[in-house]
Amino acid sequence: MNNSFLQVTNLTKSYGGVHALSGVSLDIKAGEIHSLMGENGAGKSTFIKCLAGAVRPDAGGVAVDGSTISPGDIRAAEAAGIVAMHQESTAFAHLNAVDNIFVGREMKRGPGLLDRRGMERETLALLDRLGESIDIKRPLQELSLAQRQMVGMARALSHSSRLLIMDEPTASLSARETKSLFRVMRQLQGEGVAILYISHRLEEVFELSDRVTVLRDGRHVETRPIGDVTRDELIRLMVGRELLAESRAAGSAGEGAVMLDVHGLTQPGVFHNISFNVRAGEVVGLAGLVGAGRSEVAASIFGVDKPESGTVTVGGKPLPPGSVKTAIESGIALVPEDRQHQGLVLPLTVGSNLLLSVLGSPSLGPLRSARKEGGIVGDLMKDLTVKAASSNIAANTLSGGNQQKLAIGKWLAMSPRVLILDEPTRGVDVGAKAEVYRVIRRLAAEGMATLIISSDLPEILTLSDRILVMREGALAGELSRAEADEEKILALALPREGASV
Amino acid sequence: MTIHTPPAIPSQLQSNAAAGGGFFRLLKQREYGVLALLALTLIVVGLINPAFVAGGNLKDILVAAAPAIIVGCGLTFVVLMGEIDISMGALMGVLATVMGQLTSPSHAHLPVGEGILITLALGSLVGLINGLLVAYGRMPSIIVTLGMMTVLQGVNLILINGQWITDMPAGLRWFGTGRFLAVPISIWTTILVVAASIILARETPLGHRIYASGSNPEAARLTGLPVRPIKLFVFTLTGLLTAVATVVSVPLLAVIEPGVGKGFELLAVTCVVVGGTSISGGQGNIIGTVLAALLLSVVRPTLVFLKLGPSASYWERAIQGAFILAAVLLDQVARARSRRGKAGA
Amino acid sequence: MTQQAIKTNRIPALPAALPSRQEIVLLILILSLFGVANHLSPNFLAPPAQITLSTHVWELALIAIPMTLIILTAGIDLSVGSTMALSAVVFGLCYKAHWPLAAGAALALLVGAAAGALNGIFVAYVKVHPLIVTLATLAAYRGIAEGISLGQPVSGFPDSLTKFGTGSVGMVPIPAIVFLVVIVVTALVMARTPVGLWLSAIGYNETAAQYSGIAVSRIKLLLYTSSGLMAAISALLFVARRNTAKADIGTGMELAVITAVVLGGTSIFGGRGRLFGTLLGVLLIHEMREFLSWQWNRDEITLVVIGTLLILSVLADSLLSPKKR
Repeated sequence: MNNSFLQVTNLTKSYGGVHALSGVSLDIKAGEIHSLMGENGAGKSTFIKCLAGAVRPDAGGVAVDGSTISPGDIRAAEAAGIVAMHQESTAFAHLNAVDNIFVGREMKRGPGLLDRRGMERETLALLDRLGESIDIKRPLQELSLAQRQMVGMARALSHSSRLLIMDEPTASLSARETKSLFRVMRQLQGEGVAILYISHRLEEVFELSDRVTVLRDGRHVETRPIGDVTRDELIRLMVGRELLAESRAAGSAGEGAVMLDVHGLTQPGVFHNISFNVRAGEVVGLAGLVGAGRSEVAASIFGVDKPESGTVTVGGKPLPPGSVKTAIESGIALVPEDRQHQGLVLPLTVGSNLLLSVLGSPSLGPLRSARKEGGIVGDLMKDLTVKAASSNIAANTLSGGNQQKLAIGKWLAMSPRVLILDEPTRGVDVGAKAEVYRVIRRLAAEGMATLIISSDLPEILTLSDRILVMREGALAGELSRAEADEEKILALALPREGASV
Repeated sequence: MTIHTPPAIPSQLQSNAAAGGGFFRLLKQREYGVLALLALTLIVVGLINPAFVAGGNLKDILVAAAPAIIVGCGLTFVVLMGEIDISMGALMGVLATVMGQLTSPSHAHLPVGEGILITLALGSLVGLINGLLVAYGRMPSIIVTLGMMTVLQGVNLILINGQWITDMPAGLRWFGTGRFLAVPISIWTTILVVAASIILARETPLGHRIYASGSNPEAARLTGLPVRPIKLFVFTLTGLLTAVATVVSVPLLAVIEPGVGKGFELLAVTCVVVGGTSISGGQGNIIGTVLAALLLSVVRPTLVFLKLGPSASYWERAIQGAFILAAVLLDQVARARSRRGKAGA
Repeated sequence: MTQQAIKTNRIPALPAALPSRQEIVLLILILSLFGVANHLSPNFLAPPAQITLSTHVWELALIAIPMTLIILTAGIDLSVGSTMALSAVVFGLCYKAHWPLAAGAALALLVGAAAGALNGIFVAYVKVHPLIVTLATLAAYRGIAEGISLGQPVSGFPDSLTKFGTGSVGMVPIPAIVFLVVIVVTALVMARTPVGLWLSAIGYNETAAQYSGIAVSRIKLLLYTSSGLMAAISALLFVARRNTAKADIGTGMELAVITAVVLGGTSIFGGRGRLFGTLLGVLLIHEMREFLSWQWNRDEITLVVIGTLLILSVLADSLLSPKKR
């Protein structure tokens, strides 16, 4: 009977007042493939970051064979045998496979010289064990994603790891590549390596895992042997929660004029043939998993990126692509996903942030006027109930919820016709969430055509009149408010194995 | 409705990498271009004026290129880490003055060996200070080295105090004019420095980590690499190499005066950038810098040998600037093309 | 929620707002310098001496204005000295070719603006780091200046020009008038139009500025072009004052200007800064240069002091504000 060699105890982490993880405890048995499931925002990323030592938890810890690992220390985690597979952000793109595997632990020969032959031999041996062969001399950025992952697995193997953490490794792999990956995983398992496997693909989870753990809202929901759970049960465990108390307002959607019309929008490799429209007064939800391409579609519509083909029409007039300014002038507003780096200029004051887009527009004229601006800022802050002592304090002192209100508020001053919100309540506490919903509903009632991108299923269900679901770069389906529920959405959003490639 | 897998390799890079064995894989397109341009210049000018490619002239070109190559090696490492150093010219000036004053009979008249050792130590010290400010003071390297450059210019003027040094002792001159096995000392030194730099870059863990730190500083930090000491090292090394370059090039001059080293930092940066080392770090190599230094060193002789008149040499600096702009323009074009290649399946 | 007079991020030239910590330090340094100067050599501070010495400062001050804006957007322009030289040489050659002075001046200004625009295009549209671009143009422009002038100076400009350079309107020197006009206009634009906020936003977070619809590329192009134009104006002032146009003009100007701006409290990382601070920085550098020259007649000490000041002030900025760069 396999005993657990790794204990996670009461892991807790908050980011600016929002609990990413609340007291998650888990154990991992030697040589098991343990799947970790949950919606976006359930805490999976934070969990594995704490486990791997990339992030320091606020409370709780990880112990291997009984001894606690020093938190927030990647080297300590690696020394204890916990290795996370390289993501884009932790790989050295300009270096080749050998370099990536051995960086920091280079093999030496003679007086301080690199033992290149030795490292190359070792690398080839590792890859051989995995049954793979790639060009180990090419820089990583010239390899395919699947090959890069192989390098990551070889690296984990070279660390004599006892736990390998894999975060959605098959997200962009072909069926054939996925099969290779699974074979390698089973091989590792055979050598006694446990694998913590995060994936949304239910079929894979059922195929590979010994046990599965579900996280929800930063909490541990359940851990079960894979044989003891069905697909439907799993979905229900991931999503089941009370919808926000707000009742769904009766929508007048479907009657307004078409404000936003997207047709055939394509960006090769990212999204393909996206067509939909949003009417005035309508709230359309765009659901899908991370990586489905939703934010990229929004960025394309807003003019941040130029799509390869497709058209966007606003209020009946075609919108020339690739210019944010033009998009804004024709009445589109985008509240981006990353308010820290895209939505707000945090060191500036609250007032400055609220005015950032509207200043210089025809409605205000070329000259600044403290009186006019004061009026706008004051109104916005009251409207959105931004909790701040004054408009003169730096935006980075605000809570996440209030910052989000700023990110939305700056556009209200422009009176847009189309409002796109990308993850409008990410990192926002419950109280502020409700307020944001109220604003969205009010705007819709006043005629705003709203597109909401969200990974929060209850949120999409609460707000939307219609729900579009994207899956791997394409529109997978559409649900009306009446027929939509979380399970249906997730079912559409989850990738199908053997999808045509 | 088909679903695209994200395309992996831009097709041109694919075919490039497929061709050739290990040696060619190390050289990317840039070095080839520089080598080709160099060869082209030699051939064309040689045809117009055969004296250009005579052995004596080529040797002179190599000797003239020596300091740029030596310092360029150090600077390559600095730029590989995503930083820059523009203080080398002023440093060379100060070191030349110090070296002259220490060894000249009308000044301190120390033994040449001692004078040189002190010069090397001083160069390393300045590099160390630069490195401390950048790595531990977390200051932008442009500001540090800009300020240092100015301080050194002032120090140099103060030290010289209007007295140019005209009597370098024979022992010192030997470093400039002396030969070993019929090859000038400076060329031997250059070969040594280049060889050592290539070994450092390619064959040591330190070189490996320099590339990694430049490629992804955040990941390097997370992996536990000692990024700050490594940065300190590359700046100190550059200071040391500047001193080495001073020792083998200044003794060739008739007189040590405040203009020594003027504009040298620009030449060094040009060599590194034109040689293919990316300003954002992580990419580049010593060979590229060496080839670019050779290419830039033939610019002035070319202007002279083509008998374009006395005005031609004034254009040397403009050409250097143009080279940098062309190099970065090419870089951006290449990057844009590969991005488009990645996007188009 | 009370509605109060909303103070948005204004960047005034005049000390309408309270001086920042950096500016207070500067004021202390300036006053200390005056104290030392007064002790060692009281004549230095006397108005006649000050006014004579002030002929040097306007060129530095003029170029410091667009440099402040550029550094505010987290950029830098190392080519200002070389652009000065290029404009001066063009002006000189036009005069030598018997062009009317006004035409030569116009061409010189055009050349300066074009030089700046080239910088701007590379920075804003080719998207190369301003450091590398302006390092390259620092060499290129001075090189071109040396090339087309063959290193030869042009002198013997007519009195009308010299009078323009050294003359005054009442008590105020003409170059000072030029400077005052430029700085007042700039300060007004910064404070009374959205430009000040836009520049600060670009410096703090260029991506967010772009997402907010700010015309980042166009603004950058404009900034670098104005930098070149100011350098050209400074060149004309210099030539008018010294009656000579040569390719080595403006050497070291970029260092003095950047030091003045950074000393004045504009962060090298961008986002934060004031024209008023730059004024103080220019004043400090100018007085220091002139006093060292006056007292000991040695320019070299100035170099050392300015270089050290630059390093110390940025070091302080870097250590006191733990921003990870």
